[in-house]
Amino acid sequence: MSRIDPDDAAQQPTPVVNAVGVGRTYRRGQAGLLGRNSDATVVTALDDVSAAINRGELVGIAGPSGSGKSTLLHLLAALDTPTTGRIEIGGTNTAELSERARSRLRRDHIGIVFQRFHLLPALTAQQNVALPFIEWGVGKSERRDRAELLLHRVGLGDRLTHRPAELSGGEQQRVAVARALAGEPELLIADEPTGELDSEAGANVLDLLADVADDRAVIVASHDQAVLERVDRIIRLRDGQVVTDA
Amino acid sequence: MRRLLALCKLGVVQTLGRFRTAEARRLVMTTLGVALAVALMVSVTSVAVGLASGSTVQGDDVDYWIVPEGGSASTIAVSVEGPRLGEVHQTTAEIEADDRVTYATPVQLQILQVSAGNTSEYVLAAGVVPPADGQRVLGLPTEALAPGDPHYANGTYNGTWTGDAVLSSAAAEVLGVETGAELNAAGTDRPLRAVDVADADVSTGLGPVPVMVVHLSELQTITGTSAGDQADQILVSTNDPSVESELRGVYPRTDVLTRSGVGGASVSTSSLPLAVAVAAFLTAVSIGALFVATLTGLDVIANRATIAAQGAMGFSRRSQTILVLSQVVTIAGLGGIAGTLLGLGGVVAINRISQAYVGVQNVAQFHPALLAYGPLVAIVIGLLASPYPAWLARRTNIVEVLDQ
Repeated sequence: MSRIDPDDAAQQPTPVVNAVGVGRTYRRGQAGLLGRNSDATVVTALDDVSAAINRGELVGIAGPSGSGKSTLLHLLAALDTPTTGRIEIGGTNTAELSERARSRLRRDHIGIVFQRFHLLPALTAQQNVALPFIEWGVGKSERRDRAELLLHRVGLGDRLTHRPAELSGGEQQRVAVARALAGEPELLIADEPTGELDSEAGANVLDLLADVADDRAVIVASHDQAVLERVDRIIRLRDGQVVTDA
Repeated sequence: MRRLLALCKLGVVQTLGRFRTAEARRLVMTTLGVALAVALMVSVTSVAVGLASGSTVQGDDVDYWIVPEGGSASTIAVSVEGPRLGEVHQTTAEIEADDRVTYATPVQLQILQVSAGNTSEYVLAAGVVPPADGQRVLGLPTEALAPGDPHYANGTYNGTWTGDAVLSSAAAEVLGVETGAELNAAGTDRPLRAVDVADADVSTGLGPVPVMVVHLSELQTITGTSAGDQADQILVSTNDPSVESELRGVYPRTDVLTRSGVGGASVSTSSLPLAVAVAAFLTAVSIGALFVATLTGLDVIANRATIAAQGAMGFSRRSQTILVLSQVVTIAGLGGIAGTLLGLGGVVAINRISQAYVGVQNVAQFHPALLAYGPLVAIVIGLLASPYPAWLARRTNIVEVLDQ
């Protein structure tokens, strides 16, 4: 067994997110009258998955449908907790947090980009990007200024007052990226970020994600080969297990 | 606090903005539901206000009312079939014998079906003993009526039948008659004749009630109340307040009301208007809250993906509850404003219909306070309805919804 040199260990970067022996099972079946489901079957979505992702890395998660991509993404985003093993985000074991604390963890440390953008149609691009600032209690003028900066950063400085319906799909996704970056998160998670976009708009969004990965960890789950060609490292899953991580 | 205000404002802005999106139809339906409930409540409450502020029959020359015991301002209302006073001609004559009394008359009020030609309408008939000096009784001039009560004939009821009737303008209008027209009261062959038509200044709050003033004994004969010489009240005009104590002794078990007492009767002491208003309030709140809860619940289910996304972004359950609450209250508030305006239209419609078919104007009175009452009740509806959509929002499973 090799011993870790304490000096080398000190120089190792602390992973932004660290999955250690993570397993996730679900019970499926008809619930009984009292909520018990005696006939339920246990489905294993993930089994003994380990991966550490560092700041500055752009990591892809790939795999066929049902391979456990979404489950792993939800665990890494602290939306769910593992049945076995542990997920550490910034050194904090998510399974030890209450739902409220996990909500705060997401708010303060994680940005999420959804496949379908999930922008509020009644709000302008600027108001959509400013949404997370409300949860932090940031004042109105500061919210507006910071949202404007973020939109400039994603190349939409001239679309501040446009509503989602007035923007193209690529522009909407860039607004969603700007919203995810609002808290300057250490971890940015994107679930099929190009799934609803044409190839050109998708390439622009990938450029943006690669750009923001310089000072944070970015995880992208995708089927799209064009996306996977742009990432630094791909974690391939099959039947809930890591097949390759390179 | 800043976050709370920002979340509330976001809920309002988001709700108003959604009226411009594809979700507008559902929002409009919800708003209309509240608006209808509030409009119904405002209309019914306006009728209650009309009832409460109306219904006293008084004239400028009357200083005291002798009414059966337990009477109040509302007892001298336009009401019939209550307790009555007896032997009123003789008693009134005794009261008038007092030098301090300018004028006194018994009054019997009765709803009568009166026909003129092919038109038949209900009017409020007031049987009085008109004074010789032509004072106004119940707001109508009595100069055209033969003085005294000729048909009474010392209680024999076989004196001259004058048939004289003074009609208010409203009564003449609904019957379609003018001075000199022949009239017939239902249930009797005795003829009546419109000897005068005048604007009544009866302060009823119900507007120009169709009123007809006739001789008391003739009304008693028509309505079969001559036995016992009955009337509802005795009106007394005097310039000497000391007469009040004398009036209190005229009848056992009667009350004497003063002008000041009746002046205060612009708001009825009857519990009926209050009951009507409370019933309208409860109906509007319960129906409105159920309607809003159902539709906003559907709205939450339709927007589960957005709620889940907000949860994923780190919006706490509390923040999401505040957002839902502010959205529901905003929708309800908009419905309240629309409902109040609709209710105002309803009041106008009620008054027009009642004027057209019953001949009574201003059955409903729109009090300015209702402008605030309607939206406030709508907000109560929103607050009562919001726990259900808030509960639905709270139980949204983020992972499950984002997986779909």
